[in-house]
Amino acid sequence: MSTRPAIANRATRTGGIRQHLFAVGLILVPLCPLTVHAADKDVIEYRTHIMHTLNEQSAALGQILSASVPDANAQAHLEAIALTASTALKAFEPKVAGGESKATVWSNWADFSKRMNDFARLTREAAKMAKEKGFTAAGPSVIDALTCKQCHDVYREEKK
Amino acid sequence: MSLKMFSFLIVMSAAALGATGARAEDQDDIDYRQHIMTTMDEQLAAIQQIVHNKAPADNFATHVQIVAVTAATAKAAFTPKVPGGRAKPEVWAKWADFSKRLDELAAAATALAKTAKEGGVQATAPKLDTLKCDGCHDVYREKEK
Repeated sequence: MSTRPAIANRATRTGGIRQHLFAVGLILVPLCPLTVHAADKDVIEYRTHIMHTLNEQSAALGQILSASVPDANAQAHLEAIALTASTALKAFEPKVAGGESKATVWSNWADFSKRMNDFARLTREAAKMAKEKGFTAAGPSVIDALTCKQCHDVYREEKK
Repeated sequence: MSLKMFSFLIVMSAAALGATGARAEDQDDIDYRQHIMTTMDEQLAAIQQIVHNKAPADNFATHVQIVAVTAATAKAAFTPKVPGGRAKPEVWAKWADFSKRLDELAAAATALAKTAKEGGVQATAPKLDTLKCDGCHDVYREKEK
């Protein structure tokens, strides 16, 4: 029996597999950038949830400080801000530009992360003081801790 | 201008200012409760991202803790009877039921925060529906326009 047909069959089969792999490759190549984009979008969304929480809770606290609403929840808002601040740095660790973040977040990472850590520490201390000595006593610490604008001026794109 | 006319104008101006003042206070109450409800939306969205492996799990227990802290502030924010925003008038018409649900939400969120701290994502994810957000929103929140 000749081996030629077997070799021919194998060659045909190998060619078929190659064609198959090529086709799969063609499908996967355009999908890869899509997957990266989806992951980037998740990263941006996640940190946006955190920053929006800080905005909302700071706004609620601002309403209390301006006496436009009762202060019953003041300590809780401060605690929520401190807890949220502690989650922020992790959310910015993936180097994914987009949303309202400027690229300088990652090019000045040492400064940005120091500011985030300071923010988390100061809000934690203010929340602790409010819990132990009352919100009025914690007033100056609250104002020291909420230096949001200084960081936003450097690291956040202005809303268009 | 006669004295009567002058007095009338003063009274009308004062009435207009009074009305504006009342509206501003109402808006403050609406804004305030919206800050609280939006906080819960944002934090629950972050929690869902982690549950679906779309964000790192490092902050999971803290997010649940923030929901618990925030849930406990909601009742005071809805206490002023000020319809508006997305709150239906039923909030105040059925205050006993609504406030009971908010108390239950606060208790459920506190229990969930404990679970998250001790058992992480796996233990907490199946219990997220104990917050019963939809059950309350279906009755007391206007649909988004």
